[in-house]
Amino acid sequence: MHHFLYIDPGSGSYLVQVIVAGALGVVFFFRNIKNYIKAFFTRPNKKSDDNPPA
Amino acid sequence: MSNFFTHHPSSYRDPSGFVFEKEGTLYRQVNISFKENFDFFIESGCYRQLAEKGLLIRHEQINKNLTGEDNYYTTLKPEKISFVSYPYEWSFDMLKDAALLTLCLAREALDHGMILKDATPYNIQWHWGKLIFIDTLSFEKFNEEPWIAYRQFCENFLGPLLIMHYSKMSLPQLQLAWPDGIPLPVIKSLLPKRSRFSFHTYLHIHLHTKVSASQKNNTVAPKQFPKQKMLNLISSLEILVKNLKIPVQQTAWSEYYEEASKRNDYLEQKKKIIHEWLNEIQDLKTAADLGANEGEFSQLLSSKNIQTVAADFDPYCINKLYLIIKKRREKNIQPIVLDLSTPSPAIGVNNEERNSFLNRTHVDLALALALVHHLAIGKNIPLEMVASFFQQMSKYLIIEFVPKEDEKIQLMLSGRKDIYVEYDEKYFEQAFGKYYTVRSKQSIEGSLRILYLLVKI
Repeated sequence: MHHFLYIDPGSGSYLVQVIVAGALGVVFFFRNIKNYIKAFFTRPNKKSDDNPPA
Repeated sequence: MSNFFTHHPSSYRDPSGFVFEKEGTLYRQVNISFKENFDFFIESGCYRQLAEKGLLIRHEQINKNLTGEDNYYTTLKPEKISFVSYPYEWSFDMLKDAALLTLCLAREALDHGMILKDATPYNIQWHWGKLIFIDTLSFEKFNEEPWIAYRQFCENFLGPLLIMHYSKMSLPQLQLAWPDGIPLPVIKSLLPKRSRFSFHTYLHIHLHTKVSASQKNNTVAPKQFPKQKMLNLISSLEILVKNLKIPVQQTAWSEYYEEASKRNDYLEQKKKIIHEWLNEIQDLKTAADLGANEGEFSQLLSSKNIQTVAADFDPYCINKLYLIIKKRREKNIQPIVLDLSTPSPAIGVNNEERNSFLNRTHVDLALALALVHHLAIGKNIPLEMVASFFQQMSKYLIIEFVPKEDEKIQLMLSGRKDIYVEYDEKYFEQAFGKYYTVRSKQSIEGSLRILYLLVKI
């Protein structure tokens, strides 16, 4: 792949993403359940500004 | 039309294409090897959406081979950036917003089946009052692989932001020391041990460093990495970056205007004179406000529709100015952190990749208010050298001379020997007279200070 020529991702940076994404999958799964339960018992809040920062 | 063109010195890394200059205009060539990705970028609607949202620079596609090269596919003519700045000239919140912009682009690209293949702050520039991504060729098809630019993001954005967050200091100089990103082991060693207890910091820095070190000599085949995993990775980085901050610090220069305005209407008088002079000079389009502090005078220039670079060496003042500009959607002021006694040097390959401040700065007017004594007395720079510095960047110069009897200079001299025997109005006029003629000269009422409007000879 040509992009390997100009960015050296470092093999570790590929592997770590697999590990990180695994950990995040678990954390976000429980966070979503928590948010769902929270949303069920509270009135809907005005959505925060998700616009890009720039 | 001849095929003569100049390759832009910073555009050599990416085989997808390159930036070049021809007859004074900047273009970007897309190479044939990138055809498939570029067509997909346009046809998927990714470009249109990013451009409409103001996240990516707009371009005009010119189907003409201006370079005459065989690997040509198409040519783009992007909107012009009026003043190029670099991350080592940005304040904390500018770098933070640049990081969030990068993540936002990565997320938007994913929605169109693409991924951002570069995450360097040099792909972000200031354009009409906000940060914008300029590298149109940074998007390629997402093949369900881990993010190729992940390490680059961690070393270029996350590292400096985390170091500043934990040290509670603004340190733009870090980017100058490591223009290609701070290596992960360096970031890790500069962070306090307690940073390990931040879940996202642990993952992206501590674990990342550890795994990278252990995998150095092993080649790992790319792993399957579905879109949801990529979105989780981006979300995690966003959560981390959004929570980073540095405290508002009271430096010697914050609240300067508040203090200055108490001095017998000094600030109002100064504004009145400059206002009149600005009305007299025709065709002022660009300016540099040097020693801008929190940009009071930059805002005066901006109100006259003059595009202004507001430079100050205090990163906290510039950060404050940036937040004001962002809030007010001010389009004409670009804030930069810059020490005028040692302006940003030229760095990178051949010392040409990133231009020096002086080579980049060509404006119609330079403003140097309450500044000259800091250079001449604070930094011991002879006035001839100060004059020579200013004359390189503009035709007009509005400069304030502060005599030695002024209370501020007396304060500066209170702790040191007065070796500045020559420093007076006559010597000032002599030194600047080598490069300029005086068009107007006016004392600021209620103070001993004098304002000059100078025109380059």
